[in-house]
Amino acid sequence: MPEIIIMPQLGETVAEGKILNWFKAVGDDVKIGDRLFEVETDKVTVEVEAIVAGKLTEIRTGNGATAKIGATVAVLGGEHVLATSASMPVAVQNTQPQSTPVPAPSVPSKHGVLLPFEEVRTPLGRFGKAAAGDIRLTPLARRMIAQRGLDVAALAQQALAKGLRKVEEKDVTAFAELPASPAPAQKLALSISAADQVITLNAIRSRTGEKLAENWRTIPHVFQAIDVDFTEVEVVRARHKERFKTETGYALTYLPFIARACCIALQAFPHINARFDGKSLIVSNSINLGIAVDLNHNGLVVPVVHGVQDFTLQGLAKAMGRQIEKAKNNKLTPADFSGGTYSITNNGAFGTSFTSPIINAPQVAILSSDAIRKKPAVVGDAVVPRLMGTVGQSFDHRAFDGAYAAAFLSKLKNTIETKKWAGELGENT
Amino acid sequence: MAELSYRDAVIRGISQEMRRDNNVVFLGEDIGKAGGVFKATVGLYEEFGPLRVRDTPISEQAILGAAMGAAMTGLRPIAEIMFSDFVAVCFDYIANEMPKISYMTNGQVKCPLVIRTGNGAGVRFGAQHSQSIENWTMMIPGLKVVAPSSPIDVIGLMAAAIRDNNPVIFHEHKALYATKGEVPDGEIVDTLGTAKILRPGKDCTILALAMMVHRAMDAAEILARDHGIDAEVIDVRSLVPLDTQTMLASVAKTGRLFTVEENPRLLGWGAEIASIVADEGFWDLDGPIVRITTPHIPLPAADHLEDLALPNVPRIVEKIRRVMNG
Amino acid sequence: MVKSMAIENDDIGNEKRLELWRKQVEIRDCEKRAYDLFLQNLIKGTSHLSLGQEAIAAAFGVAMQKGDKSFCTYRGHAHTLARGVPMEGMLGELMLRDIGLMRGKGGSMHLTSVEHGVMGSYAIIGAHLPIACGSAWRAQYLGEKDVTVCFFGDGTTNIGAFHEALNFAVIWKLPVVFVCENNLYMEYTLNSDVTAVASPAGDRASAYGLEKIVIDGNDADVVYRTANTAIEKARNGGGPSLVECLTYRHSGHSRADPGKYRPPGELEKWMERDPIKIYKQRMKDFGFTEAQIEAVEAESKRKVERATELCKASPSAPEELLTADVYADGGWAWRN
Repeated sequence: MPEIIIMPQLGETVAEGKILNWFKAVGDDVKIGDRLFEVETDKVTVEVEAIVAGKLTEIRTGNGATAKIGATVAVLGGEHVLATSASMPVAVQNTQPQSTPVPAPSVPSKHGVLLPFEEVRTPLGRFGKAAAGDIRLTPLARRMIAQRGLDVAALAQQALAKGLRKVEEKDVTAFAELPASPAPAQKLALSISAADQVITLNAIRSRTGEKLAENWRTIPHVFQAIDVDFTEVEVVRARHKERFKTETGYALTYLPFIARACCIALQAFPHINARFDGKSLIVSNSINLGIAVDLNHNGLVVPVVHGVQDFTLQGLAKAMGRQIEKAKNNKLTPADFSGGTYSITNNGAFGTSFTSPIINAPQVAILSSDAIRKKPAVVGDAVVPRLMGTVGQSFDHRAFDGAYAAAFLSKLKNTIETKKWAGELGENT
Repeated sequence: MAELSYRDAVIRGISQEMRRDNNVVFLGEDIGKAGGVFKATVGLYEEFGPLRVRDTPISEQAILGAAMGAAMTGLRPIAEIMFSDFVAVCFDYIANEMPKISYMTNGQVKCPLVIRTGNGAGVRFGAQHSQSIENWTMMIPGLKVVAPSSPIDVIGLMAAAIRDNNPVIFHEHKALYATKGEVPDGEIVDTLGTAKILRPGKDCTILALAMMVHRAMDAAEILARDHGIDAEVIDVRSLVPLDTQTMLASVAKTGRLFTVEENPRLLGWGAEIASIVADEGFWDLDGPIVRITTPHIPLPAADHLEDLALPNVPRIVEKIRRVMNG
Repeated sequence: MVKSMAIENDDIGNEKRLELWRKQVEIRDCEKRAYDLFLQNLIKGTSHLSLGQEAIAAAFGVAMQKGDKSFCTYRGHAHTLARGVPMEGMLGELMLRDIGLMRGKGGSMHLTSVEHGVMGSYAIIGAHLPIACGSAWRAQYLGEKDVTVCFFGDGTTNIGAFHEALNFAVIWKLPVVFVCENNLYMEYTLNSDVTAVASPAGDRASAYGLEKIVIDGNDADVVYRTANTAIEKARNGGGPSLVECLTYRHSGHSRADPGKYRPPGELEKWMERDPIKIYKQRMKDFGFTEAQIEAVEAESKRKVERATELCKASPSAPEELLTADVYADGGWAWRN
């Protein structure tokens, strides 16, 4: 029966040994106790004796060669069936069935496998201080305030005025529903004839209408636009739109490309991804994009995709698709509207050249993209048909200047036109 | 569909599984010929005979030890410990032997068995026969722990426990044996580790176990009717594995958490859940987590004192109302 | 009053004798190696050696058939080896390496090899006696023909679980053999100082309607004959037996104990009755040559060396094993 000779354990921390010299050759008989070879480690040089007997039929680790502790260095008495250069001697009869090394959870978890030192998944991230002066805020209240960008001081003030000692969820919810600076809509006295049709504004329109008027009145809007060549985008989009639709159910329009380019450009021009409280610009590390969705001419809602600064085009397109679908199915919740730092409105469906949109306070800018169609463009010195679109931005001139905003648009254009989009859709570029 | 008592549900659950699998056997004191001191095993001896339903001497260590030895070598035993207080007598098997053997032997040995035991107060048995000890068993790694509150859950969770390949301790509530509930016909098999939302609500979450579930439900009625508080009541059902997702989702919805626990105050089952929610669900909390428990005392025998000690409906309502409105 | 087993003809046979000799020698050599490895700090924690008690484990090991189940105590190295478990599995577990029977998860006190019928070694005194009853109950219920043998020490006879198990086994007539290894000392105390009767197991037998059986635990032939009788009785539906084997341990209770509580001369007296010494002579008496006897000893040493090599070269178990096998599905998830 074949026996293996292994590199023996030569010391506590020794991992391998170098055979300096074999005292036996292939074909020699080996008795128990015979000197087999001399081995050198980083600590000592020792002679290894045989503890098994047989005819030496194979030397695997010759003079000058190194083997790991436990590795087979030679074979006695015939072919050793299990050829291995692994560190574990495989002639061992392990009598117990090896259990699976990766434990599976006993109860299905949507979070996957339970980690040994993370049995309770502590949430990271802070949502502001627990107290504002003498007023305490519940954790939920603090989270809501942070996520909706509300004024802590004002809430604390309100609590004091009411003689309360704390701010809770219901206080925050009530506060969030108040108009920003109450300017009730003027109802003009108009004469109405029989030929006229009175259409009362629906709920969405009345609510948003007041806010729009307020924003237009208080924010110094400046509008800038830039022409963007979408030809290369279309090449990639055409390649992927079928697959994307099949895989996700959503359409891969130009909008996600524009949104992704915005994320990249906003990271270069962070003051645009910010909120303005009248005195300070609150720049956000998180890009929370509001995507304007038209509800069949019955109003506009702007649901937010949160924390998308590092999303790939694919991921962002899916996230946007989800929100748009929810909006159309009337499934948006308050959380979907909170925390936006920048907005995008898309009016391209009707062929318009550009739109000068109204900013969503407390944000400081809003992007609009319009129709993208084949138009004559200049490439080099030639006039060629290219897929062109005008991308415009309204910005709050209190927050930054025209040069900053224009540079942002320039970066945006450059990104859309020259980025290797295929790489973000799963292709190896 | 039929109305079945909790005790008849025990019989139905055990017999459902014993008919299905010949390896399921049952041992305990007075469980066979006498049908159990709580009459919760009547008829099993007659149906399955003296080899499968065995009356034992008063030897809790032997009962659990034998159940373990049989489970290790191929059977699926059910062992009864008459009053849950008595687990203290044979606790070596519950704490040291059964739940550790799979781990220590690197998975060579499995221990598929069910210990069923009469838990809880309300029947005037005094301090050593009335304890709720489910929390003692919750803290041992390797053991699964269930405590059903209704007949349908008794059957479903009993079946799940018997089919589970681990040691499971099944806490039946003595004061619930006579209560009744609707039970569908046919085989009933539930899933361990799942809680049930018995009453959806939006203002606060109430977690309860076994007999306290019924009191929590009654309290929720009163809170809604008289105090405008819409409580979501969840029957925890299984302490290990623990359905933390259902509980966390509920608190994310309501922002407030209450537990109603029969065990004495310190380290009751609600303490662990409160800790998990205070950690993982911190940013969903709109107020302190409150545990409503029996005080940290042995239980008296006198009926009015026992009723005073356990969380009762008026006390539950009052505590929740006061905390929610404060 | 000691029940004597009269030796008339050679009822054992040389094949079995060779096996008895081999098992005792290998147990002795492997235990001595365990002693050395502990001194070299390659065996950590604690270890309870059975040097001097080899005959009992070896004899029962030869008498038991494949499929029979054995339960032993934390002093279970000998009983584990006697069931045919390879030395490297046992030494490896003592050294807490991946090559160990349980990959280091259980350690010296919990040696288990289901494949060989070693259904665990138990550290809580007396716990495994009722468990052994359960294994026997299962055999009886399923009509399986295996016998369960349960080994324990003299100190166990004073704990509650011993009494519950004996009563249980008798009333249900279970196919289990209880083997008490009386080595005189319960941890550091002389057992006779704390036991109401002279024979800790033998004098309790009648309380459970069992025959008093007290034998010389250092003579492998004597133990083997008694083992056979008791095991066959159980296998044929005759119910349990309680066998007390008189023996002595050469070392302290555990590796940490040098055994200084023993009176002077006691160890020397027992060394005269060393099982290996007795059996070597027995082998000669039954016609084995020096060469044959020494061949077994040499092969044993070779096996021990080989096992030591393999164990020293074995790594520790991977870290994923920390949370493996808490539950039957291999996992440990107590929550979702």
